[in-house]
Amino acid sequence: MHDLLDDWAQCNALRGTSAPLKLFLGLGAIIICISSLTPAAPVFVAISMSLIILILAKIPIRIYFRLLLLPLSFALLSSLVVALMHGSGNMLYAVEPFGLEIGIREDGAALALLLIARTFGGMCSLFFIALTTPMIEIFAVLKALRIPESTIELSMMIYRYIFVFLDQAMMIHSAQIMRLGDGSARSAIRSFSMLASVLFLRSWEQGERLIVAMDARCYDGRLDLMQEKKGARAIEIAATGAYLALTLAISLMSNKPGII
Amino acid sequence: MAAILETREIEYAYADGTRALSDVSLTIEDGEKIALVGPNGAGKSTLMLMLNGILRPSKGEVLFRNKRLDYDSRSLREVRRRVGMVFQNSDDQLFAPSVYQDVAFGPVNLGFSQEKVKRYVGYALQYVGLLGYEFRPPHHLSGGEKKRAAIAGILAMEPEVMILDEPTSNLDPATSEEIMEMLDELNMGGKTLIISTHDVDLAYRWADEVVLMKDGGVLRRGSGEEVFSDLELIREARLKPPMVVDLYHELVSRRLVEENKPPKSILELCDLLEKKDELQQRKMGTIYICNADDLVPVKAQELVRKVDADYTGAMGTRARRG
Repeated sequence: MHDLLDDWAQCNALRGTSAPLKLFLGLGAIIICISSLTPAAPVFVAISMSLIILILAKIPIRIYFRLLLLPLSFALLSSLVVALMHGSGNMLYAVEPFGLEIGIREDGAALALLLIARTFGGMCSLFFIALTTPMIEIFAVLKALRIPESTIELSMMIYRYIFVFLDQAMMIHSAQIMRLGDGSARSAIRSFSMLASVLFLRSWEQGERLIVAMDARCYDGRLDLMQEKKGARAIEIAATGAYLALTLAISLMSNKPGII
Repeated sequence: MAAILETREIEYAYADGTRALSDVSLTIEDGEKIALVGPNGAGKSTLMLMLNGILRPSKGEVLFRNKRLDYDSRSLREVRRRVGMVFQNSDDQLFAPSVYQDVAFGPVNLGFSQEKVKRYVGYALQYVGLLGYEFRPPHHLSGGEKKRAAIAGILAMEPEVMILDEPTSNLDPATSEEIMEMLDELNMGGKTLIISTHDVDLAYRWADEVVLMKDGGVLRRGSGEEVFSDLELIREARLKPPMVVDLYHELVSRRLVEENKPPKSILELCDLLEKKDELQQRKMGTIYICNADDLVPVKAQELVRKVDADYTGAMGTRARRG
């Protein structure tokens, strides 16, 4: 079977804590990360969030690292480009292919480092939300935040059917592989295009069936957006506040000139 | 008994001109258990979609409690509330992100107050045995649990008639059995039930009345014994007779049993095989029955030890779950 983020959101050790609090913690950390001018605060967030995910939420370390690998590779690549393209200051490293000077300058290196740190800190915070809070609870928070109901209803349906189509896509994909649909690069591309077009048609049909299913149950433009009432304990609120305050302090202190 | 649903000479053709139903007249009485049986493409699903006004017949009419369906939004709402339908594919039916929200969908759209919705949903989930699953998303349920959730979604609207399209397809035998038992209980509670299936054994065992369909028409309607004893007709409908009936006919032709009414179950068939006087001579056993609702497991074990039973078992879906 496939490991889906959603499966972990359903069963992790922090499943029982209040969703608004978890969202507040995650989003707060993300905002501090991206507004920080030095890598210090994002690095702190990345480390502490990872510890929270691994120790408090009890997500297996193997799964967490596999998740991180994807954004990490992306961040490394893009910051390499930034490092090469950007900046002034002393040249740290340079090559000269075909008489063209490509090099990394001090400024570029610092910026690249900051970028990696920010992405990483942000990703860890986002994974904290994704791994501990089921979508249903996020919908309830969105409703409490007065997001228009039609937007929430639409995203609920999308959320539900993502998994139906994911299943179908995986089945079509296996059906193709079983008949050697990925034999060569050419046939792999053709198979993929077939998969995409079939999936499109199926989602269209599914939409029609959805309307029938809703009509059959007297659809009148109303969808229940129930809220699971789970209050946060005082100690949890205090811990979240203390954590965010500490992060903010690190961010502000390190922003002083003199420290990188 | 009064007719609850009736179709009069209904016809239906799909947009491409394929005829799905022709001249179907059917009366369904209050409290019946009906199985629509037929090969693929016989028009079972189309007929079912007619019964709660999802499809509109191109000719003929559908009546609910002797009132003609008008196909305006008010009468459609009314009939859809009274006649609930469970689709073959549960994923088509479960569209909300959590079990609770899905089951609440009907009651919410009927305009019930929040407190009433909660009560109805709780009742429906308890009935199908899914209490504690409220906040699970449907893709975290097994096939049987999905089917139960789909049934709960219909139950929460308190329908008088429940239509189930292939309720046991894609379910393992034990789960199928549980679902059918639950349907039996619902029927006992007064609900009219209509299922479609091509599992002849299931239809024969479960239904009071069997409607045999082929090519968009009704070939025969009657009790299971009547319909499935007509081997010619069964062959024509591209079906096979139920195993018990098949075996019974074979035994009759070899003169191992006397020709009578076909047995309904394996047990009845065995009774036919045993000669009457043998049956009478045999010493009868004793059956102990107790209500599982107010029985704790320890006490049950104590009781079983006391009465020295050969076989113990639980009856009814609620007792089994306990």
